[in-house]
Amino acid sequence: MSEKPIQGERRAFLTGNEVVAWAAVASEAEIMFGYPITPQNEIMHYWTRMAPKFNKRFLQTEDEISAGFTTNGGVLAGLKAFTATSGPGNTLMQEPISMAEMMRLPIVTIVQQRGGPSSATVIYSQQEVNLTTHGGNGEGLRIVYSTATHQELFDYTIKAFNTAWKYRFPTFVLGDGYQAKMREPLTIYDPEVRGIEMVPAYKFVGKPGKPGVDRPPTQLRNIFNMEEELFEELGEQFADFEKISPQIAECEQFGCENAEIVVTAHGIVARAAKSAVKDLRERGLKVGYFRPITLRPLPVKELRDTFSRAQKVLVAESANGQFDQLLKYAAYGITTEMVPLFKPGVGINSEDIYDKVMTMLAS
Amino acid sequence: MSKVIKIAMAGEGGQGVQSVAEIIAAAANDEGKECLYIPNFGVEQRGGVSIAFVQISDEAIGAPKFNTGDIVVALSERAVARTLQYVGPQTTFVYDASLNVSAEDLPKNAKRILEIPAVEISKNELSPRVFNIIIMGAVVGATGVISVEGAKLAIEKQLGAKFEKQPKLRELNFSAIDRGIDLVTKAG
Repeated sequence: MSEKPIQGERRAFLTGNEVVAWAAVASEAEIMFGYPITPQNEIMHYWTRMAPKFNKRFLQTEDEISAGFTTNGGVLAGLKAFTATSGPGNTLMQEPISMAEMMRLPIVTIVQQRGGPSSATVIYSQQEVNLTTHGGNGEGLRIVYSTATHQELFDYTIKAFNTAWKYRFPTFVLGDGYQAKMREPLTIYDPEVRGIEMVPAYKFVGKPGKPGVDRPPTQLRNIFNMEEELFEELGEQFADFEKISPQIAECEQFGCENAEIVVTAHGIVARAAKSAVKDLRERGLKVGYFRPITLRPLPVKELRDTFSRAQKVLVAESANGQFDQLLKYAAYGITTEMVPLFKPGVGINSEDIYDKVMTMLAS
Repeated sequence: MSKVIKIAMAGEGGQGVQSVAEIIAAAANDEGKECLYIPNFGVEQRGGVSIAFVQISDEAIGAPKFNTGDIVVALSERAVARTLQYVGPQTTFVYDASLNVSAEDLPKNAKRILEIPAVEISKNELSPRVFNIIIMGAVVGATGVISVEGAKLAIEKQLGAKFEKQPKLRELNFSAIDRGIDLVTKAG
């Protein structure tokens, strides 16, 4: 048994990609499958640097389709397996992820969003929200955490493994190119010292005993002969997901109780929203901050409560309305005006949000 | 927003703006401050203007980039043009005296414009190798965000292995940072 990758806890100053690699090692992940694409490459680099020291493994596949399927294979064999991708790689990976949805395989995928469509930019965007939350064919179910800080990138990568293995749904950590490449301090830790119990992995295939005699046979299907079989299976999956959604959904908010304007954003743009709202509130303005941490499932109850009390909601995102669409579906029936601040593929700074709110208040 | 010191540095690839930004951020981190460093990066690994954004504060830092910097440093003609967008009424704009720029090219709205002879000093007094460390000194001197000792410790941490092999380099780098600080503090 090799020693623990992180003893206790310590402050570190890392890039986001390094943070993910550290978190995966701390999460007891056993194998990574991947194919290089900017801006997530260093996740693979750091993982491969650390993996041999802790008896962990890595396989570079021929493309992202294969990286996704091998991740599925790793999980089927009972290994905590993960992959990481971005942009066009995320597009390719949707095929194996759909399989993971149909078979309910607890794969973990890290996405560092880049500009799109196609190869577009290697830099940054929030344009992979649709793809990451609803990218598969059919209506597969998955869990998506959208992180804003390096601390969260660490915390939620650990959480993603536990959520995946506890509930058996493919789970995503949705970052972006800025988070991937920037450096900031955080505390990295051994989950045990924080009282976090890692959910153990278990085998889906190759289990001991004779099927049907010593144990029930394993039935894992991604293809069905009859419409009714699929209908029945999906019904169960939808019911399961609905039941666990309130336990999984997370949000962060402040100042929304008496806010005239609520600013909402997710991921790294939420940082800009948070600091702008703090400044506006220091000036005595009635502005609140609401941020879904899970984009799927969304924190629907909190979102509806907050949006219905506000006079206006400002939606800020580095995309042309993907997050906005998710919010509008969840807020159906609420008549509060939703004002867009969309900058597809470009960063949004605190000043942008501050100025926009000031304009809204003046109108 | 006002409690955060915002620094943007731009130059040609190879001038070392990214390493300087990283050393400044690492020094701030070592002093227990909140800090964030982000490079701009693209598919062009060479030949483009390279920009580094650094923010240092006692409180949590917001977005990784910003619209207006407290100090904006431009080390090439193209970098001057590229960084005008980050200059505002609160900005100290620093550029090298060797650049072929006219008053037309420089920002009109800066709080203060500092022309520093970093290229000349690095060539004639120290060594071209420490050009970026003179720039680092200028940033440290202009902002006071990290202590001189902290800055030197961070340089030691980053370049310590090289200093072991060539002890003269240490002295050279430390002289460079001191000279950089002098350039901006004496400029008034």
